[in-house]
Amino acid sequence: MGLTEPAFFILTALVGEPRHGYGIVGEVERLSGQRVRLKVGTLYGVLDRLVADGLVELDREEVQQGRLRRYFRLTDAGSRSLAAEAERLAANARIASGRLAALRPVNLGGPA
Amino acid sequence: MTSRLEERYRAVLRVLPPAYRAAWEEEMVATFLESMATEDPEDAEFLAEYGRPHWSEVASVLGLAIRLRLPALRLRLGGVGAPPRYRLWGDAVRQVALMGLLTHAVLATVTVVNLLWEAGKLPWLPPPPWPFPAPGPRAALRVFLIFATVPAYLALLSGRRHAAWLLALLGIGSVRASALAVGQPFDAERWSLLLLDLLLLATLGAFHRDAPPVRRGPWLAALPVGVVLTFGATSAEAFWHSDWPLQDPAGLFAAALIGAAFAHFAGALRRARRPAAPRSLALALLALGLIGMRAVTLSDYVGHAPPALHATLLSVGLVEVAGLLAVGVPLALLALRAVRRLPAPGLPAGAGSRSAGA
Repeated sequence: MGLTEPAFFILTALVGEPRHGYGIVGEVERLSGQRVRLKVGTLYGVLDRLVADGLVELDREEVQQGRLRRYFRLTDAGSRSLAAEAERLAANARIASGRLAALRPVNLGGPA
Repeated sequence: MTSRLEERYRAVLRVLPPAYRAAWEEEMVATFLESMATEDPEDAEFLAEYGRPHWSEVASVLGLAIRLRLPALRLRLGGVGAPPRYRLWGDAVRQVALMGLLTHAVLATVTVVNLLWEAGKLPWLPPPPWPFPAPGPRAALRVFLIFATVPAYLALLSGRRHAAWLLALLGIGSVRASALAVGQPFDAERWSLLLLDLLLLATLGAFHRDAPPVRRGPWLAALPVGVVLTFGATSAEAFWHSDWPLQDPAGLFAAALIGAAFAHFAGALRRARRPAAPRSLALALLALGLIGMRAVTLSDYVGHAPPALHATLLSVGLVEVAGLLAVGVPLALLALRAVRRLPAPGLPAGAGSRSAGA
């Protein structure tokens, strides 16, 4: 059971501090090096599922310029899921890198 | 006071289910407006009045709406164990899917036969009476891809729905793509065929997990029978009226549907029973679609023919519409009565049929 890329980045963006919708969009864009730009529809589709699955929960609500701003945070289950997924991806990457390195031991790390 | 931009975004959000909107709409609007915020007050004012959500944002909301509404739609096109009315709609839409895919499979096979004919592989027949270029490898590849609709149809009959869907997408996509490649104009006929094909691909979704297995025998036999009839009819017409434009798709489909409707009524009369409800509903839905298609393509069809034939072709077209109405209205009435006879979902069985009357 893997996470989709948007879900993975949204969970990662929530590590350490709760964020609100637009804050998550900005943080995901920063983390992915401008590669993953979440649309509002995508963001809330994923958030709805993450909340339903218990990986994310509401932290607090604030009123900003007359509009409701909800902050979300990672749950313990969410932290564990993210850690497990990160480990899974890292292990997969290690397998591929290992094979590639075994194929060309001379060229790795040599001068250009 | 809400800006026009906000109104437009809220209008887009209306495609989402009400329960979801109740939970998330305000926040989505707030986040969207924050994403469109700009520091320059003049830009901000301009955006508020004239700004529109970017198409990629609209697409993301549409994608979400489809994903959220799909389970409810699957419920309404019920299968085994579903409430009777949902089961009826499910069976009818599945029959529409089968008939549509059968049509594609028949036409693809006839296309292969025509290609062989043009290549001289059918020596017992006189050469085809229409102008044809020497078929080459590109034509063969195109026909090969289009032929994917035949294994798609067979896969659907044997319950392999994912394979059926992929092959149908390949085959039907190739048909639409080849029309584009040949450079045919995007007139009413192309648009309506594209729309009908998209609807057909959507109806394949009614073959979900709970869908009952298909009675293969008659559907399997329909393929060779359809090929023989279609090839016979189109080549006979080409020889007989070689100065006439060939009957266009709308006309062929109308004839096929009217024939199917007659077979349906005749079968019911012979067995002295009511016509089977799912078939009536399926044919009624198809008749509706074909009436629309015939209506919008008639002027183009007549216009492309030499002026001497205009009056004749117009009459033929109107007869086709009349024929579709003549079978479509009774079919729709039969289907409506059949639906009313079944209990409405949510009511205990019997309460609905008692209040529905005759």
